[in-house]
Amino acid sequence: MNTRLLLFILLFPPLVYGQEKASRSYTVHGIVTDIATRLPLAGATLSIVGGQGVALTDKAGVFSLGVQAGRIRLRCEYIGYHSIDTMVTVSGNQHIDFFLSPSQQTLSQVNIQSTAEPHKEVSTLDVAVLQGSALEQTRGLSLGDALKSVTGVTTFQTGPSIAKPVIHGLTGSRVLILNNGVALEAQQWGQEHAPEIDPFIANQIQVIKGADGIRYGADAIAGVISVSPKPLPVDTGIMDGEVNAVGMTNSQLGAFSAMLEGALGKNLAGLSYRVQGTFKRSGDVRTPDYLLGNTGLIESDFSAAVQYYHKNYGIEGYYSNFYTKIGIEFGTEVGSYSDLLMRISEAQPPTTYPFSYFIDRPYQTVNHSTAKFRGFYNITDSSKLEIQYAYQVNTRQEYEELSFSTSLAPAIYLQIHTTTLDLNYQHNDGGGFSGSFGATGMNQGNIRMYGYLIPNFVDYDGGAYAIEKYRQGKWLFEAGARYDYRWLRAFAFDANAAKIDVTTTHYAGTSATLGTTYNFTDNLKLTGNYSAAFRPPSINELYIDGVHASLAEFEIGDANLKTEQANDFSLQLNYATHWLNVDMNGYYNHINNFIFEEPTGQFYHSQGGELLEFAYTQGNVNFHGLDLGITVKPLDSLEVISKTSLIYAWNETIHNYQIYTPPMRLQNGINYHFGNFGPFKSVLVGADDIYVAKQTDVPPGYDFAPPPNAYNLIDAHVGFKLTINKTYADIDIAANNLTNVAYKDYLDRFRYFAYEPGRNVIFRLRVPFEILSNHTNNN
Amino acid sequence: MKIMIKSKHVVYVLFGTALFYTGCSSKTEEAVQPNIANETITLAQLKFTNEANVSDTTSCTYTFHLDNNDNVISVDSTTLTLKANSVYDGVVYMLDQTQTPVFVVSNEIIQRENYHLFFYQPTPISTAPVISTTSPYIPGTPVTPGVPPLNLTIERTDHDTNNPPLQFGFHTKFTTGAASTGKLRWVLRHQPNAKNGTYAPGSSDLDVNFITVIH
Repeated sequence: MNTRLLLFILLFPPLVYGQEKASRSYTVHGIVTDIATRLPLAGATLSIVGGQGVALTDKAGVFSLGVQAGRIRLRCEYIGYHSIDTMVTVSGNQHIDFFLSPSQQTLSQVNIQSTAEPHKEVSTLDVAVLQGSALEQTRGLSLGDALKSVTGVTTFQTGPSIAKPVIHGLTGSRVLILNNGVALEAQQWGQEHAPEIDPFIANQIQVIKGADGIRYGADAIAGVISVSPKPLPVDTGIMDGEVNAVGMTNSQLGAFSAMLEGALGKNLAGLSYRVQGTFKRSGDVRTPDYLLGNTGLIESDFSAAVQYYHKNYGIEGYYSNFYTKIGIEFGTEVGSYSDLLMRISEAQPPTTYPFSYFIDRPYQTVNHSTAKFRGFYNITDSSKLEIQYAYQVNTRQEYEELSFSTSLAPAIYLQIHTTTLDLNYQHNDGGGFSGSFGATGMNQGNIRMYGYLIPNFVDYDGGAYAIEKYRQGKWLFEAGARYDYRWLRAFAFDANAAKIDVTTTHYAGTSATLGTTYNFTDNLKLTGNYSAAFRPPSINELYIDGVHASLAEFEIGDANLKTEQANDFSLQLNYATHWLNVDMNGYYNHINNFIFEEPTGQFYHSQGGELLEFAYTQGNVNFHGLDLGITVKPLDSLEVISKTSLIYAWNETIHNYQIYTPPMRLQNGINYHFGNFGPFKSVLVGADDIYVAKQTDVPPGYDFAPPPNAYNLIDAHVGFKLTINKTYADIDIAANNLTNVAYKDYLDRFRYFAYEPGRNVIFRLRVPFEILSNHTNNN
Repeated sequence: MKIMIKSKHVVYVLFGTALFYTGCSSKTEEAVQPNIANETITLAQLKFTNEANVSDTTSCTYTFHLDNNDNVISVDSTTLTLKANSVYDGVVYMLDQTQTPVFVVSNEIIQRENYHLFFYQPTPISTAPVISTTSPYIPGTPVTPGVPPLNLTIERTDHDTNNPPLQFGFHTKFTTGAASTGKLRWVLRHQPNAKNGTYAPGSSDLDVNFITVIH
């Protein structure tokens, strides 16, 4: 059953273009790749179950198999991997790609699974994958919101439109985000700085939960989120596309995304391309009782990719641009502590506004451009050298509410330029050993204008790593180590004297990982991992000096902060059969020199009143918890999914709880596959109950208001496929917060001001289409 | 495991890395742009004229001293001295001296009278003030029984161009009673698209206290 589900998402649209024709011979062809590494698998076997005909893949993973027209059962097998069976209706020359998963791992459920290792070499860390229909059901949401269905992951929000992902209680620069293999280097200085990624690009989003400093260097002490587009087509002479449209009743959001891709044939075989664009616009968000003024947003994104693959080498270029303009809720820019307390004491915002798409001050605009060049060379059949160069520019402008100035300028302008160079050598010698080593370099420069938040700075980073894995029977062992060095120089006007302060700091650290997996049976495995990682203090933690308007906080940095050191232990149990799937991950992450803001007990007297002073300081903190996912399939058509995220955090230095720790979250859902109803194919109906407990473990004196009460939300959705004129469309209708519950979330800074959004009915349409195909060429 | 990297590859890598780092420049970052706030208040003043004698004027001034990050590092305030049993006409004057030429904030606030509302609160008080959309008093002001109150009543004397017009408080009438001492809290509320005559909407642009002596 699980394989069938997997196939549903992995097989490409051509499957459904079947047209009945007279019985004759055709060719089924395609490419077999490792789902994780995306490397072609040479020597994989393709066979027709109960029929004749066998084919092997060549070095490029390509196969071609002669078949009779009609319905056949095609099996793809490869030693060390799970085989895949699929039913195919052949009515012409057909293209099918197979993505195989290593058999040490059990890839069973479509949605969330501890499995593959696409962008990371450390496979004994817990990984969740969001792809296929589970990902489709998040279209139109921000990246942070899309990941909320993963156990152990939640969001830190600033109102309805700004959400930062939180993994195991940690967020911001402690969570590394990869955009198509490039570490996103943006302005991560504020809680209201959300990641600049268009989730429509993604074909798969991976969440690595736990300290993973080995492959991507310092910072990732909480985890890694990897957003990957699907691989470019390699089959020659094809062109296809996809259109996505999303509409939401709450906020009257409209999102439109289109993609066109293809692979050239003849002399240009091996060359393929994709262009993709997204436009999104929404207006004011509605809570059950009132509208939130100025909460609209505009987003427009574009990406283009081109690659050339030859037998032993490949090169690719990728460019993406993300632009957004986000309104900040009216009334949340409080000038003083007493204003904030007044807002907290009110049952609802003192002013309500009519619905509008217009975005007024305060608002922020962000533009993020990424250019990437990647090349690889297969030195031998089992070893590969990769080089990747990326350049990113992130420009953030924040426009505050103006009282009396006629200025058109932003309050804050920040532009960060980042250049990265990665070299990676990987090998898989077939004898049980596999691994990689490499070196990375980064240069970053930041330029600021207008108001002061962080200084100009220049940063040089260098690192080197090695990871090795050994598989022996039921055991998998892995070990890795990494060294990183950072040179950071900040340029700022001296706060008191008329001169420029130049401060240079150095940070160095080692990261390590050690893990093992034991497969008791094909269904049951136990994994233990220890990872050490570190994070140098970020520029805001070192040098910030100013007012945080909407929190009535005056923040003070500390240039003498040391690096954070994380020691993360995890134990995972995975059990998977055709009817039951259990993923359990317990973790204990101890962080020395954890950087946090502590109230100084002092007040800063601004013109508009008093603000509380918060100073960055360090302490020893531990985060521990449990992620539990259980899927039961009592019938082939019915699945019951239960997800539990428990997390506790204790600050050993202040002898109290750690602020902003996510409370317990339970999500219980049911999905029923109805099958086909006339023109409605693959009808799926589902509902989820989401319970978020009240956080009672909070340190006194750190927050302005007590944590909000527990809440319970009900989400429901119906999805089906509709074939119109031989083109099929995926349609999904969902209702979030179906019962229109008024609630507040502990991890939303704007809980001081207003409730969370009320009921939202979402319409999603996805239409894949084919423009050029191989079999039309051949016929 | 057989590693097939030749020494010439290593040279390429080292050369490329060197090129990469030399290609990065820190010149732009060294040219630090000055910190400029869009708006700030460095001086806030109330000027008073005795209605009985136009040559009898007085004022009180609050001065904010800023550092290079535009944060307030210290303040100065003068004492407001008013004659007992008198009526004064008050008017607001505010400056942003970080700009060149000096920006007269109060002129701009008159332009945006529909978004602004001034509040004036004498303390201590013996009974809670009557709060309405026409009173310049601040809700929530604590009553201190047993302490002689500051004998001062304040009225706003101007209106904005909202429909219906709402009070503004740029111009005021201060009426003093018997000799007493206390404080005058002065607040400017900024209430874009939200002004309704009450204190609650918006946020404070200015919130200061003057020591006040009525003699």
